[in-house]
Amino acid sequence: MATNAATRSAADRAGPDGPADHAVRTEALWKIYPQEPRPVEAVRGVDLTVERGEFVAMAGPSGSGKTTVLNLLGGLTRPTRGKVWIDGLELSALPDRKLAAVRQNHIGFVFQSYNLLPMLTALENAEFTLMLQGVPARERRERVLRLFHEIGLEGMEHRRPFKLSGGQQQRVAVARAVLGAPALVLADEPTANLDSTTAEALLDVMQQLNRDKGTTFVFSTHDPRVMKRAGRLIRLVDGRIAEDVVRGGG
Amino acid sequence: MIHRIWWRIAWRNLWRSRRRTLLTASALAFGFVASVLMIGYMDGIVEEMVANGTRVVTGQVRIHAEGYEPERSIHDTMGGREGLDVEALLAAVETRNGVVGAAPRLYGGGLLSSGDETVGGVLVGVDPAREAAVSRFASALVEGRMPAPGEIAMGDGMAETVAVGMGDEVVLVAPAADGSTGNDLFTVSGIFSVGVGALDDSYALLEMGSLAELMAMDPGRIHEVAIAVEDIREPEPAAAAIREAVAGIAPGLRTEPWSIFQDQLYFMVNYVGAVNVYVAAFIFGMAAFGVANAMLLATFERRREFAVVRALGTPGGAIGRIVVYEGLLLGLISLGAGVLLAAPLMVYIHENPIDLSRYVGTYSFAGSAVRPLLTVEYSWAGPLASGLALVATGIVSALLPAWRAVRVPPADALANR
Repeated sequence: MATNAATRSAADRAGPDGPADHAVRTEALWKIYPQEPRPVEAVRGVDLTVERGEFVAMAGPSGSGKTTVLNLLGGLTRPTRGKVWIDGLELSALPDRKLAAVRQNHIGFVFQSYNLLPMLTALENAEFTLMLQGVPARERRERVLRLFHEIGLEGMEHRRPFKLSGGQQQRVAVARAVLGAPALVLADEPTANLDSTTAEALLDVMQQLNRDKGTTFVFSTHDPRVMKRAGRLIRLVDGRIAEDVVRGGG
Repeated sequence: MIHRIWWRIAWRNLWRSRRRTLLTASALAFGFVASVLMIGYMDGIVEEMVANGTRVVTGQVRIHAEGYEPERSIHDTMGGREGLDVEALLAAVETRNGVVGAAPRLYGGGLLSSGDETVGGVLVGVDPAREAAVSRFASALVEGRMPAPGEIAMGDGMAETVAVGMGDEVVLVAPAADGSTGNDLFTVSGIFSVGVGALDDSYALLEMGSLAELMAMDPGRIHEVAIAVEDIREPEPAAAAIREAVAGIAPGLRTEPWSIFQDQLYFMVNYVGAVNVYVAAFIFGMAAFGVANAMLLATFERRREFAVVRALGTPGGAIGRIVVYEGLLLGLISLGAGVLLAAPLMVYIHENPIDLSRYVGTYSFAGSAVRPLLTVEYSWAGPLASGLALVATGIVSALLPAWRAVRVPPADALANR
């Protein structure tokens, strides 16, 4: 594949250092869904290391395993085989309660269809993780309002999700994902339901957060705009990493 | 602090499907109303049965000589053959808390004759002034008044049998305590109808001294003190206080609440109480299925939301708590609606009982006249128990949906699998 960026194998990136030094590390990661007539191997032996502060896009055709990899990294599903470390914590060994604590404190999620909680206002949605973390109400409000100001959501605080546009909802979702200061934000096709202008604006916001706060982003995407902006592009084919390209910047 | 958000989410979730919530709450509220009215109605029946069973003759507590029952021998008077200081005994009883009144009685059996007619009957020597506070004889007089010395009042059935009316004379023949047979002439002063056939057909009242003379008994000899107490459903505390008060007056006195000497009635009261529990359990059990079904549906519709909050790091227990809080809030809303519905209905039916006797007549059970009245009795116990049952139904109905919500696999739910 022609590229002007350095291409490395997953094994190269694992390196000799321990998992605690990376935002993400996986080792021989497999996910097999038991199905008739034949089990589906959604992820097949993925070894992946993501450094802190990276802006990584995972691309690939439908069914290539992008979402499953994100779910495995986020502890939303357990691997059939292999190991996952997030911020040095091995997820596969953790019981459900501790896994929830890892998601609460180390991982932020942005979903394709926003998935804001419809019974909460924009502000309440954004502060949800902070609330779980036990941050006092006044501090929560201050942090949410500051971020809302930065990402252009001022005045939308008390609106319910159904009164926000798609782009606004996705920005609230991004705010919710990053406000808890996670080491890693996993975004599953975050621009798929947005028009070009809104998608670009959202990418600006995420890139700004990546740059200013050092938050690590891992996307799954079909969107060329996301791929173009990513500092590293991983292509998945049939549940395997087919290509891992570091382009610098991002 | 963090609990507040789970309550807020639960509350707002309830109102996302307003129609479903209102329908479910209505079902629970109607269950509450049905339970409260049913328990109130059964309480009304029980109250009426206890009142009729104890206010007509026996009172709610009685004192006898030990061994008087079941033979009811005329020799087994209180204090033995010497008798006792009746006024001191009555004073000790009447000064107890919760005692409304006490009436001494002397019992005998005899034949009443007038012309060619004769009937066997129970002769009761009474203190007419005291009797009114304990029994219904005085208030049930359809003609005349309570007997003075030399007079007799009898049930309307008995009067009909011997074909006598007011002012007529009857001859009484009764076995006396000295082994002789007493006989005397008495004038009919009153005719009563208490509504219990066995009493109206066979009871005759005489002034205490007149009967004592007929039966050759000293004035200090009586068979019974019948006592009326304030709490007719729970006479045991008053009975215990009376027992203690009379212990020093004469040996061998036996003080019993109606739950002992009206054992059939007591069984019936307990039976009705048990039936109430089962009927309420059935009502709320049925409601629980409906509520659980509605909540399961709501839980299924929100699988994706549960997955999202799980993804954000919410522990499974907190997710279950949201659903249980919804059940609890639904129960409380239903309780509020149920109280608003039940209260005016209870007041109306209590104030305007429907008399069904024109359709089914009256009957007596366990010595108690039962009027078929469709009414409800005020009490805290029924509404309180129904309210607790309703809230518990809300919570219990939420347990299965909560368990399902906790077990939603986040990755599958997010992918709509």
